[in-house]
Amino acid sequence: MAEIEFTHVTKVYGGETPAVRDLNLKVGEGEFVVLVGPSGCGKTTALRMVAGLEEITDGEIRIGDRVVNDLAPRERDIAMVFQNYALYPHKTVYENLAFGLRMRKVPKDEQRRRVEEIAGKLGLADMLGRRPAQLSGGQRQRVAMGRAIVREPEAFLMDEPLSNLDAKLRVQMRAEIARIQKALEVTTLYVTHDQVEAMTMGDRVAVMRDGVLQQVDTPQRLYDAPVNLFVASFVGSPPMNLFEATVEADGSQLVFGETRLDLGSRSLRDYSGRRIVVGIRPEEVREASGWDGARVRGRILLVEALGSEQLVHIEIAATPLERADLVDAAAQPPGPSLGVEDLERSVTLLGRFDRHLLLTPGEAVEVAIDARLLHFFDLETGAALPAANVQAVAGVAG
Amino acid sequence: MASVAESGYIPASRRRRFSRRRVGHAAAPYLLLTPAAAVIGLVLAYPLYLLVKMSFQKYGLFELIRHKGRWVGTANYASIFHDGEFWRVVLRTLVFTAACVSLTMILGTAIALLLLQVSRWVRIALTTGLVLVWAVPVIVAVNIWRWMVDYQFGVANWTLTKLHLGNFVRHDWFANPWTGFGVFTLLIVWGAIPFVTITVYAGLAQVPHELLEAAAIDGARPWAIFREVTLPLLKPIFVILTSLSIIWDFQVFQQIWVMLDSRPSSDYYTMAIYAFHQSFQISEYGLGAAIAVVMVLFMFAATLVYLRQMLRTGEVN
Amino acid sequence: MSAVAVTRPRSRKRLRKAGWNALALLVLAVMVFPVYWMVTTAFKPGHDILSYTPQFFPTHPVLSNFTDAVHQQFFWNAVKNSLIVTSVVVVLSLVLAFLAALALAKFSFYGRKPFIVVILGVQMVPLAALIIPLYIMMSRLHEVDKLSGVIVMYLTFALPFAVWTLRGFLLGVPKELEESAMVDGATRFGAFVRILLPLLGPGLVATSIFAFILAWNEFIIAYVFLHTPEKQTLMVWLASFTTLRGTDWGPLMAGATLCALPVIIFFLLVQRKIAFGLTAGAVKG
Repeated sequence: MAEIEFTHVTKVYGGETPAVRDLNLKVGEGEFVVLVGPSGCGKTTALRMVAGLEEITDGEIRIGDRVVNDLAPRERDIAMVFQNYALYPHKTVYENLAFGLRMRKVPKDEQRRRVEEIAGKLGLADMLGRRPAQLSGGQRQRVAMGRAIVREPEAFLMDEPLSNLDAKLRVQMRAEIARIQKALEVTTLYVTHDQVEAMTMGDRVAVMRDGVLQQVDTPQRLYDAPVNLFVASFVGSPPMNLFEATVEADGSQLVFGETRLDLGSRSLRDYSGRRIVVGIRPEEVREASGWDGARVRGRILLVEALGSEQLVHIEIAATPLERADLVDAAAQPPGPSLGVEDLERSVTLLGRFDRHLLLTPGEAVEVAIDARLLHFFDLETGAALPAANVQAVAGVAG
Repeated sequence: MASVAESGYIPASRRRRFSRRRVGHAAAPYLLLTPAAAVIGLVLAYPLYLLVKMSFQKYGLFELIRHKGRWVGTANYASIFHDGEFWRVVLRTLVFTAACVSLTMILGTAIALLLLQVSRWVRIALTTGLVLVWAVPVIVAVNIWRWMVDYQFGVANWTLTKLHLGNFVRHDWFANPWTGFGVFTLLIVWGAIPFVTITVYAGLAQVPHELLEAAAIDGARPWAIFREVTLPLLKPIFVILTSLSIIWDFQVFQQIWVMLDSRPSSDYYTMAIYAFHQSFQISEYGLGAAIAVVMVLFMFAATLVYLRQMLRTGEVN
Repeated sequence: MSAVAVTRPRSRKRLRKAGWNALALLVLAVMVFPVYWMVTTAFKPGHDILSYTPQFFPTHPVLSNFTDAVHQQFFWNAVKNSLIVTSVVVVLSLVLAFLAALALAKFSFYGRKPFIVVILGVQMVPLAALIIPLYIMMSRLHEVDKLSGVIVMYLTFALPFAVWTLRGFLLGVPKELEESAMVDGATRFGAFVRILLPLLGPGLVATSIFAFILAWNEFIIAYVFLHTPEKQTLMVWLASFTTLRGTDWGPLMAGATLCALPVIIFFLLVQRKIAFGLTAGAVKG
C-alpha cells in the first residue's frame, strides 16, 4: 500500500499546449480517487505518467516514498487495468493471470495458489483454460482486474475499465470494483469520463479540464459546493440550471426577468450593480404551493416521465448564460422553445418533480425560489461566489 | 382488407421474371470465373499434367518432332535416382536453400526490429532504400553483382583487399563453387530482405500497443516482451514468409544461369538448372520432367504448411 | 517532498537512439550501394570505370554509355516488345481477375473452396519445372517465338494474386451499397460495374502494378520462348548484352539502369501500400 503524489506535474507534447498543467494531487494510502473530466482533459495522460507510459515534462510523481520519474514501468510496482483490457490473446486465462508473477520470478506453486484464489473470488475458476477470445466482455474485464489484483501491487491504476461494457453490466461491475477495492484496501487511481461512475465509486473525485485540476473533494462536497461553473455543470445529472441575473440594492436583491428576489441573509455586496450567474439544482426547483417565499412564474414546456419521478421543463423569464466556454460542453441546457416571442429572455429550468403531481405541458406554473439554495458564480471567471452568511439549508420548499 | 403484398399473391408476369432471374443467378458465378479459370487451366493445370505424363516417357528429339512421347514407365526415375550427380544436386540445392532462407529471415527480421527503434526520418529513409532494392529486376541485379565481383576491376576485390581481409587482387569468385555460391547467396538474400523486412515490420506495427504496455507494467523486460507477446502474434507471418522463401529459393535458376553466361559448370547445378539442362540442352525432356516432378514434390511438402496457414487466414476474412 | 537524487537517463536514451539511427544508416548505405554503383558506373567514362582503384564518385559524368546502350541493335525492338506485352497483360489481368474475384466474393457456390485451394496452390508450382511441358505444349500449338504465347503465360502467373487481392478488396465493400443500387433500379451486374468497380480503385492499382512488374521483370519464359532477337523483351536483351559485346561495363550498367527505371519509379510511387495487402488480418489476436 502506498500513496501516490503529484507535485507540480506538467506534461507537454512537443511544443503544443500542455496536456497536464501543474497538477498537484495526493492519493492517500488505501484511498480510491477518481480522475474525471471530458475527453482531452488530461486525466488519462496523468494516469499514464504514474504508470511510466508517458514521460513527465516537469514536476515529480511519488509512489510510496520513491520518486518514480525515471523508473521504468516494471520497476514501479503498480498494476493497471486498461480500457480494452489488453489481455494476451494467445495465452490462456491462467497464463494471463500468472504472467506478472512469472516475470517477477514468483515460485510456481505460489503462482498457482494466488491465481486460483483470485480466480475463485472473481468467478473465473472454470475458465482458466480458455483464451480471451472465448470470453464475454464482462468475463474479460474480470480477468483484467484479476491480473492486476494477483500481483498485490502498491497501487492500482484503472483507465476507463468500464467504458466498453453495456449499461447494465457497467452498473454491476461498478459495484464489484468498489467492493474489491474496499476489501483489498489498495490505493487506487481511477480515470473515467462518466461523472456518475466518479461520484458513486470515489472516496474523492478530482475534476479536470484542459489539463488543469478544477477541484478535488468528496462527491457530496463537489455536488454541494462546486468551486466554479465547470464543476457545477459537470457534476450532477440532470445538470444544474444556470441563468444570468443582476445584483441590485447594494447586494441584497437579485433581478432576473420579471422577478425581484430578496436574498435575505445572503449578501452579494461586492457585486452590486453587476451581472452574475445563478445556479439551481433540478431537485431544488419546486412547485410553489405551500411556499410563502419568492416565486417565479413559468410555463410547462415538456414533462418527461421516468417512473420514479418526473422531469419537467419549465420556461421562465430570465437571461440565459451565453458563456459556453465556462461550462461543460455536454451539459448545455435545452434550447428555447419554438414560438416564444422574446428568445433572449427565456430560460428553461429542469425540475425534478414528484411522480404523483399532475402536470400538463402548456400549463402555467409557479416555481418556488429559495434564496438559500441558490449557487452564485462570477460571470467573467466562472468562479463560485462566496455569499456572506451562508447557512446550512435545513428544509426545502415544496 | 389485406394488401396485395400481404396476401402473397404474385401476378403471373412477375412470376416468370423471378424464375428466369434465379436460373441466371445460379449460372452467374461460373460464367464470371470461366475466362480466368480457362487461362489458368490451360497454362498451369494442363502442363502440370503433361509434366507428370512426360516424366514417365522417353522424350528426345525424335519424339519432339513427332509430338509424341514413348512410354517407359519408371525408367526415368530409376535413372536419376541411381545417378550420383542427381543426389549431389539435391544436396547442393537443399543446403543453398537453407542458407538463403535462414539468412534472409534473420537479417530481414533484424532490420524490421531496427526500424522500430529509429527516428521517423531514418525509418522513412531506410524503408525507401529497401523499396528501391526490391524494385530492381533480377536480371539487372545479376548484372550489377557481376560487375561488383569482377575479377579485374570489381569494387568487391578492391574493398576486401583494402580492409586487409586478405589478398583479393584479381580474385575470380566463380572459380571455386563455394565462393561462387557465396556470391549467389549474397545476391539472393540482398534482393529478398526488403520483402521480409517490410512485411515483418507491418506485422510488428499491428501488435496492439496496449499489450506491450501491459506486459511492461507486469514486469517484463524488453526482450521478454518480444518473446512473450510480439513473437507469438507474429507467428503466422513468419510461417508464411519462411514458406514463401523456401519455395522461391528452392527454384533458383535465372541468377546462376545469367551470371555464368548460360554455361554453368556442373558444380553450379541446382535442381532447376539440372532439369533445364537435361531438357533444353541435352534434349532429354523426359528425364528433365522427372527431375522437375521431384522438385514439385519437394515444394508441395514445404507448401503444405503455407497453404494451411493461408487458408486459416482466408477463413477469418 | 523527499530529496532522493535521481540520475536523469534521458540523455542516455537519446544517445541510444542516436546509436540505432547510425546503425540504420549504415544498413541503408550497404543495401543501396549496389544500385548506387550501377547508376554511377553508367555515368562514368570508360577509363574511370576500367581503373584498378574504383572511383566512388563520378568526377566527369558522361552520357556516352547511355547513347551506346540505346544504339545497340535490337534495343528499341526490345522496348517495344516489353511495352506491348506488359500493357496487354495488365489490361487482361484486370478484366479477368475482376470477373473471377466477383464470383469468389459475391457468390457462394460449389467449387468455391477448391478454387481457392487451386489459386493458392498454383503459385507453388516452380516455373523452371513447368517450362518443360509448357514448351512442348506451346510448340504443338505453334505459339513458340510469339508474343501472344508469352502474354498468355504471363497472365497465368498474374491472375492468382490478382484474383486474391481483388477478392479481398471486394469483401471490404459493404453489401448495402450494391443493394441500394439495385433498389434504385440497377441489375446485379450493373451494380457490380457501376458501384463496386470505382470503389476498387486502390485494389485495381495494386493489381495492375503487380501485373506490370511481373511482366516487365520476367526472364525465363521470355528467354525460352522468344528466339528471334527482334521478338525478345528487354530482360532477355539485357541478359544477352554481355555475350554480344564482351563485358562493356559502362554501357551494360547504362542499359541495366534503363531496364530498371520503370519498375523503380512505380515502386517508389506506391511504397507505402505494398506490404499491407499480404499481412492484413494475419496478426489479429
